[in-house]
Amino acid sequence: MNGTFPKWLKIVLIFFVFGLVRSPFESSLRKQMQETRMLLPTPGHSAMAQMGQSALMGLLGGVRTLVATGYLFDSYRHFDNDDWDANRKSLLLATYLEPTVESHWVDLVWHRGINAPAWLETRSTLPEIEKRILYHEYTRDAIELGEAGLKNLPDSVEIRKQMSEVYKEKIKDPCGTARMYKEILELKNAPMYASRFYGYYLADCPGRERDAYEHLVNLYWEGKQNHLPTLLKKILTLQEELDIPMPLWIPEKDPDARKAVNRRFEKRNRILPGGIRLPW
Amino acid sequence: MTTFTETKVKIPVLSLSRVWTIAAGTMTQLVRMKTFYFLLIFAVLVAGVGYLDFRLATAASQLETIKKISFGTMDLFAWLYAIVATALLIPRDLEDRTLYTILSKPVRRVEYLVGKLLGVLILIGLSLGLMFCLCMVMLAIKHGDLVSSELIKLSSDPNITQVEIEEQIALINEQGPRKELGVAALASFLKSSVVAAMTILISTFASSSLFTIITSIFFFLIGHAHGMMTDYWLHKTEGNLVIRLATKVMKLLIPDFQLYSFSEGVVTGATIVPAVVWSMGFLTAGYLFIFLLISLMIFMYKEF
Repeated sequence: MNGTFPKWLKIVLIFFVFGLVRSPFESSLRKQMQETRMLLPTPGHSAMAQMGQSALMGLLGGVRTLVATGYLFDSYRHFDNDDWDANRKSLLLATYLEPTVESHWVDLVWHRGINAPAWLETRSTLPEIEKRILYHEYTRDAIELGEAGLKNLPDSVEIRKQMSEVYKEKIKDPCGTARMYKEILELKNAPMYASRFYGYYLADCPGRERDAYEHLVNLYWEGKQNHLPTLLKKILTLQEELDIPMPLWIPEKDPDARKAVNRRFEKRNRILPGGIRLPW
Repeated sequence: MTTFTETKVKIPVLSLSRVWTIAAGTMTQLVRMKTFYFLLIFAVLVAGVGYLDFRLATAASQLETIKKISFGTMDLFAWLYAIVATALLIPRDLEDRTLYTILSKPVRRVEYLVGKLLGVLILIGLSLGLMFCLCMVMLAIKHGDLVSSELIKLSSDPNITQVEIEEQIALINEQGPRKELGVAALASFLKSSVVAAMTILISTFASSSLFTIITSIFFFLIGHAHGMMTDYWLHKTEGNLVIRLATKVMKLLIPDFQLYSFSEGVVTGATIVPAVVWSMGFLTAGYLFIFLLISLMIFMYKEF
């Protein structure tokens, strides 16, 4: 047998048979691991084509988390130097390597949508028209990047939160902000404040004031835990704006007015007749 | 006239005590080679990462970054250690002529190979255990600091309710030291075990340690990348038949090391499916058996 069947052939045969046995097993394991995010997904072809040498080496060498962290630190450096395009590129590479890591997407939206436009606002040397074009480009890009992030992480609260910040602070679109919080509310892991914030921004969205009022009043009647200064202030403003009949008003005073009264009271009690100031 | 009666001693196919003796000898050998020194580098690195200035990051993402760097380095050190330590063993035994002494005794070659591999695996396990403990200590210290500073910050905001503070702290706790991280260390151990077994196979026919190290790293990289490269090449060449066949052969011959990278997912907070972890253990056992079997087929007929 040995004469007709060389040892190397036996070895190759063993490898092949083992390979054939393990292949379907490994494929189903890979599928299961990718579904549960235990295994990071393979980047798409276009992403691989855009990767630099080190990113590709990291991907191939099994050290993608380390290389991705390197890109993250690199983005910090570019942030320090106000190099927004380089900052975007570094973070984008980090997302290619670790598409299911939420913080990379959040950072990307934050830098592109908040920091870069904020930097533009302080540039007095740039012509106004160029500033406007770049501002629009940065904010639109931030929203697109956020949407790309949501394709990878559809249940992400943090990405939506960051996008809502861009809508609120830079695009000045309360309707967009409210829409983001509405999406957060529909998620299983929605934080408690999402419901309040949805109401706050909806109140500023033209034509949606009544919906906002109803939402916030419902929250108010849910319990004392929701009787927070901003919520009260918003309801009080909406009551007046929407001409809500007095009997339906919430039994609360303006928290600012209450604070002002308290301050006046404290101030008055500290000064005795004759202008003598108490030391406590 | 004196007559000699021949007593036949039956030597078992695989004696666990002999395997253990060789494994213990291998551990001593590797410790004497001062291979444990890399743990010092790791300790310095983990301590350094813990005190990096992350002024841009939130508390949770600071912890996430610390975890990713620590566990990524742990994984890298583990497989590199598996290759280098294993590659040194058989050539060193040949150089020192220890191999002749061992094999001239009633020790089977299979026991020698299993003993060597077991010694390396125990040492990798110990190193990973130590590195894991270091990471957890650093993570626990950093987690404690971050939670207390976050509590102070959140409590001073009148617009944040107690429940919301608890939600925020829970987010930080998710990235803190958790027992699930042990599975990430286990993943690195499984990967290193397969790498060590593959290296032992290469060293049975290799001419030098250097050749073994280079070849093992080469196969490791291919094993890590072949899934991705196959997709990429097939996409580029629009499913060329030759490429398809070549990649199929490569897949059958070289282990898929990318599957073992599930430590990355575990570190970033993926849900652990126990059945998957068990399956990976089962797959690793299969690889170890096949690599040892082929190593033995080569080593059995090797003349020294």
